[in-house]
Amino acid sequence: MSLTAADLSLAVDHLASKLEELEPVLNSADSRLGDGDTGTMLARMGRGLADVDLESTDDLGAAFMLLTKATLASTGSSLGTLIGTAFMTFAKTTKGKSEIEWSEVFAMVDDAVVAMSARGKSAVGDKTILDSLNAIARSTESATDRDEFVTQARSGAQTALDELRDQPCQIGRARMYKEQSIGMDDPGMLAIALILK
Amino acid sequence: MKKLINAPENYVTEMLEGLVACHPSLTICGDSQRVVRRSAENTPGKVGIVSGGGSGHLPLFTGYVGQGFIDACAIGNVFEGPAIDSCVDAINAADSGQGVLLLFGNYGGDRMNFEMASELVAMDDIVTATVLGNDDVASASPEEASKRRGVAGLIYAYKIAGAKAEQLATLEEVARVAQKAVDATRSIGIALAPCRLPSSTEPNFQIHDNEMEMGMGIHGEPGLWRSELKSADETVAEMLNLILADLPLAAGDRVSVLLNGLGATPLEELFILFRRANQLLADRGVEVVAPIVGNMATSMEMAGASLSILKLDDELEALLTAPGVCPFWRVG
Repeated sequence: MSLTAADLSLAVDHLASKLEELEPVLNSADSRLGDGDTGTMLARMGRGLADVDLESTDDLGAAFMLLTKATLASTGSSLGTLIGTAFMTFAKTTKGKSEIEWSEVFAMVDDAVVAMSARGKSAVGDKTILDSLNAIARSTESATDRDEFVTQARSGAQTALDELRDQPCQIGRARMYKEQSIGMDDPGMLAIALILK
Repeated sequence: MKKLINAPENYVTEMLEGLVACHPSLTICGDSQRVVRRSAENTPGKVGIVSGGGSGHLPLFTGYVGQGFIDACAIGNVFEGPAIDSCVDAINAADSGQGVLLLFGNYGGDRMNFEMASELVAMDDIVTATVLGNDDVASASPEEASKRRGVAGLIYAYKIAGAKAEQLATLEEVARVAQKAVDATRSIGIALAPCRLPSSTEPNFQIHDNEMEMGMGIHGEPGLWRSELKSADETVAEMLNLILADLPLAAGDRVSVLLNGLGATPLEELFILFRRANQLLADRGVEVVAPIVGNMATSMEMAGASLSILKLDDELEALLTAPGVCPFWRVG
């Protein structure tokens, strides 16, 4: 089974509507250690992504590049730039392809983690979305279709959230609250877990 | 926390419209309309200087676009870094073919976006150099000084790099004096009351009426300690000591002092703080040159102040006191 532009379109619609719905929840999660605007920023990004005309191409690489541009135009926050970096990595891997096997997607996620780590100068274990994506990549290695992928990704994202909750944040503004950050969810990691729910 | 706004989503756009309407020396440009540049033509042969950062800190960053200061500024949403496209547009606006210095505060989002923007403009053969403001001594230990965040002291680097660029110095030279200014600047802030993001319903942190927090950052980042409110003299003495522990000064040294308000603290209180800082420096035999007291780098309605000290040598003093004009700072 393979991932196509139609799957991508469905995923973006789901993402945008989820982000709209999650805005207050994620703002509230961010307000504990941050400015309280992660939900608003992600909802704005979701609207930017929903406006992308994915019908205009069946090249997955071109589609991901459109999503990259929409992400980076909607925000300058570090979380937004890291998400844009992930889309750009997907765009490079899928350039010229109209479909990609679901069994190959975990490796794309791994590539994204490497690129985001380089861009953000952070690592798996720092309690960021890198931990969620890394866990998703590990949990989806055996997925062969969309349903399997989504189910396994959901469990990976939740596992990462649960495992990192009691760890201190190591990077960004939250690193300044090492002690207080123990027991709290990272808003970006929480967003990924809730989007997949 | 009340705000005189129309709609949170229009906060930045309407602020910029008002800013350029009041100051014809500034023009909004770029596809995203999130870049402010000098209205005047670029000076041929001059290195461009670009800054950028989130909104919510006026006059920082945009208010320092002017002759002898920065040439263009990329503007983000409130407390968010500028988008990459805006960074690219700002670099293009400032470029006269001699290269562009990217001079901004040390924040993850800003750094990533300017880094990506500089890779993009490199494809158009625009050469850039980057210098990061990291003056906030409370934001990391001396051993981790490279992790420190940029606060009000960044404006000293604007002034000094801007004056050097006016002399038609090379990009390497402009970057050198900018880095020298950053290395000679230390700041520390004190917060009395929080601010609220326009899109948020809650203040960005909680602090009791009778409390203060030493070392808090301009987005409400946690500081060194929190205590009952102390007197102005006690407070500024402690701020000065924290800076001097990091930037030792001896009798005969010359410094500039910036006593900055965070937004909601009256000028009267800033002058009361400055008075004591000036006395304490004089007691040590340190001479204060070209001091600044005012709201130069704010956090919307946050109450509090920051103290910045720039240790001068002949080169830095000459550049600091060279003529320059932008909407919020005029020299000569």
